[in-house]
Amino acid sequence: MNVYQPFRVRIEERIDETADTRTLRLKFLDPDIAEKFDFKAGQFGEYSVFGAGECTFCIASSPTRKGYIECSFKTVGKVTSAMKDLEVGDVMGFRGPYGNAFPMEQMHGGNVVFIAGGIGLAPVRCVIWNVLDERNKFKDVTIVYGARSVADLVYKRELEDWGKRPDVKLWTTVDPGGETPDWKGQVGFVPAIVEKASPKADNSWAVICGPPVMIKYTLPVLKKLGFTEDRILTTLENRMKCGIGKCGRCNIGPVYVCKDGPVFTAAEMAKLPNEF
Amino acid sequence: MTELRELARRLLSEGTVNAVLGWEEGPRGARPAFVTTPDGADRLIFDPRCVHDLASYLSPRRPHLKKLGKVAVVLKPCDARAVAGLIRETQIPRENVVLVGVRCGGVLADPESTAPLSETTVADRCRGCPDREAKLADHVVGTAGAGFPGPSRRAQKIEELAAMPVDRRWDFWQAELSKCVRCHACRQVCPLCFCERCMADKSLPRWIESSPHARGNIAWHITRAMHLAGRCVDCGECERVCPEGIPLGLITRKIAQVVSDRYDFRPSDDPAVPAPVGTYRMDDPQEFIL
Amino acid sequence: MSTTTFIRTADLKGLVADFNAAGIGVAGPARTSDGAVDYQSITSFDAVVLDAQPRNSLKQFFLPPTEPLFKYARQGQDVAILEVPMSFPPRVLIGARPCDAAAVEVLDRVMNWDYKDEPWFARRDATTIVTFACPGGDRSCFCTAVGLAPDATRGSDLLLAPAGDGYVVEIVTPKGQKLVDAYAKRFATGAGVDATKAYRDTARASVEGHVPARPDVIRAWVETHFEDPFWAEISMRCHGCGGCAASCPTCHCFDIVDEPETLTEGVRRRNWDTCQTSLFTMHASGHNPRHDQCGRCRQRVNHKFAIYPARFNDILCTGCGRCARTCPAGQDVTEILTRIVAMATGQGGAA
Repeated sequence: MNVYQPFRVRIEERIDETADTRTLRLKFLDPDIAEKFDFKAGQFGEYSVFGAGECTFCIASSPTRKGYIECSFKTVGKVTSAMKDLEVGDVMGFRGPYGNAFPMEQMHGGNVVFIAGGIGLAPVRCVIWNVLDERNKFKDVTIVYGARSVADLVYKRELEDWGKRPDVKLWTTVDPGGETPDWKGQVGFVPAIVEKASPKADNSWAVICGPPVMIKYTLPVLKKLGFTEDRILTTLENRMKCGIGKCGRCNIGPVYVCKDGPVFTAAEMAKLPNEF
Repeated sequence: MTELRELARRLLSEGTVNAVLGWEEGPRGARPAFVTTPDGADRLIFDPRCVHDLASYLSPRRPHLKKLGKVAVVLKPCDARAVAGLIRETQIPRENVVLVGVRCGGVLADPESTAPLSETTVADRCRGCPDREAKLADHVVGTAGAGFPGPSRRAQKIEELAAMPVDRRWDFWQAELSKCVRCHACRQVCPLCFCERCMADKSLPRWIESSPHARGNIAWHITRAMHLAGRCVDCGECERVCPEGIPLGLITRKIAQVVSDRYDFRPSDDPAVPAPVGTYRMDDPQEFIL
Repeated sequence: MSTTTFIRTADLKGLVADFNAAGIGVAGPARTSDGAVDYQSITSFDAVVLDAQPRNSLKQFFLPPTEPLFKYARQGQDVAILEVPMSFPPRVLIGARPCDAAAVEVLDRVMNWDYKDEPWFARRDATTIVTFACPGGDRSCFCTAVGLAPDATRGSDLLLAPAGDGYVVEIVTPKGQKLVDAYAKRFATGAGVDATKAYRDTARASVEGHVPARPDVIRAWVETHFEDPFWAEISMRCHGCGGCAASCPTCHCFDIVDEPETLTEGVRRRNWDTCQTSLFTMHASGHNPRHDQCGRCRQRVNHKFAIYPARFNDILCTGCGRCARTCPAGQDVTEILTRIVAMATGQGGAA
């Protein structure tokens, strides 16, 4: 079995998150691999539909929940369109886990602020679960999540669960005009809601993922709140083929997103050339 | 050459254009030049080593050149046919470009060549070329040699291939096209391959397999030939650039012959002549429609 | 100094015949139907052309333009993965050029970076590289500026240099030794390396001075000048054709595609790709982080002379000059590197 050959995984469950976003729960066919497979929060994989090709996503489930992995994807290209056509029980391919991870151990004992926009919640959700499954290892947990409209919010059932927990401060928001009559969350852009939530920066980590424009305007807010660049973590995506540093596709300047990332601190990001 | 440089200097200093695309002396012979200052005009050259078709740089597929704004392009008569093709198919507005024609009596096969232009060294595609200057041009400079008589060796080869039994011709093309590594360099340099997104790059559905195996290669080259029917101006760039030495000109020339014979269209530098692909005439041959 | 032996030209011919008889594949530089010289399969040493640099490089023998990674077969909802064999018949590459042999070893770095690329190394294991010291190059050659030489042994198993009625054979690797041992009767005692000195000196003189031998200066400048107008200037003439990458012995970027053969069966393949095209980095959403030719021209120089050195302490270029020879628009790596050194040392800027 060469490094480009995937594990076979079976679709256990399909969850439609929005009109064009879906989550798949995948189980390894080989019980040995299912047993041994392990990963860290933030790592990614190459998911494939045989006959259509491979596609890169983070693992959206948490390493604290064994026996399966999940991915969430938006239907945009050839492979994601083919994934959309798959049924429960169909077999896909998965290679991974690849890349670096969020520094969970370093974050122990600190407060964590999660900030996500749109489908950017997928990689953040992996960390949220990880933190909530080891809740006693972390202090305050704040989640700020925004989408264009109520219909564009992903992981709605989990948002509901997190909202009910007394040990999580959840702020959900939609862009102005994206609200429905019965919307009970915030209305406004993510940076403004972060400012409103005003999480304390002391002994805190921020995990942020979403559209570039959201990140661009949220970083100054976090800095104003006192977050330092080495405590702001994000995860990047770039077009990839191999996922293991060979195919030469994912460079941002000197960085290989697949090997040095996908998780970067804001300090590391600031050093990268504008090529992402 | 002085005439060309003076004209370029004037166009740049008067602000008529922001850049003049011509040729310069490079480390390995003549090469395309982008002159953006009046003083830079002295870099310009024209001699039989200037084989490149600069019309390729006018293609809308060159977003990195858009910021140059209005440009002047130096053209051989064959290059002018390519510019006419781009205008004919509404890829560039005529008024957006200043065309500087250089009179031409044929070029060498290779921009690095140091041989004098002669019956033996002339590029095969120049044999039988009737045009000495571009009629489409705004300015025409230089003097032209007498040109070289046809037929080209390639025309002879096309006849030879046409006379072959089908299975031998198939063997010939299988052998040639098996060399292709699908780098698509032929497409990239082609002045008339102006599609924003090439069919070969489309994945929904995948019309043409991207792998360099016989099936993918034949699909690619047949499709490209069809798409260049009535467009190819025989600038020779695809064949010159091919890193595997595939005689691509045999394909495009054969198609051009068919278009000429059946639809009475030969690429000219007159953009007003309608494109055969975009024209329907009652007497078009159509017996191939089942 | 490594061990040397000697082989007469007649025995070299016999050696190729021995390989044929033993079922060992042989490839070397030979004429093609269009008159060029390519590395290709040969059956006789008589076909070998040693006085011209082959148009292609050796990379195709280790990273073919297309290769299957595995096959799949769907049955209902299930899928079977059918492995493709990762063992290859033995092959000898004879008449390799030092720049091309070195390139293969340069690429071993990335191909073994944390994850071992089995298709690459399986072919490496099956292949013995018999290099001939280069007779000298043209103005685009600059191997000595990237730490190599026309008689460099890097990546070669044996290095031959002409002397008298044959070749002095330097045994570079155990694999080379094994070949000499297995065909001991073809080798003899003869002239030593000293006898090839004039040949080597002539070759070296022909490639020197084309690019300043300052790889560290080049790297430092590239690392600190991502936004320099130099990149936009040189990119203007670039057609994005990728001819440079196709002909390059070290350009190794690849694509992975699925190709159905029937409704239920198909192949996942790896194909050559190039950073010079727009599609290379384009996201499915249409967003393209490297959105124009300026960034693509920079990437090729950056990858070769800064990223690879930073990552593997090795230059992703062996100075063969093919990119300059193949470019239809006269883009010339020797000029690019020379200008970078000039800019870095304060002797010139973007024109």
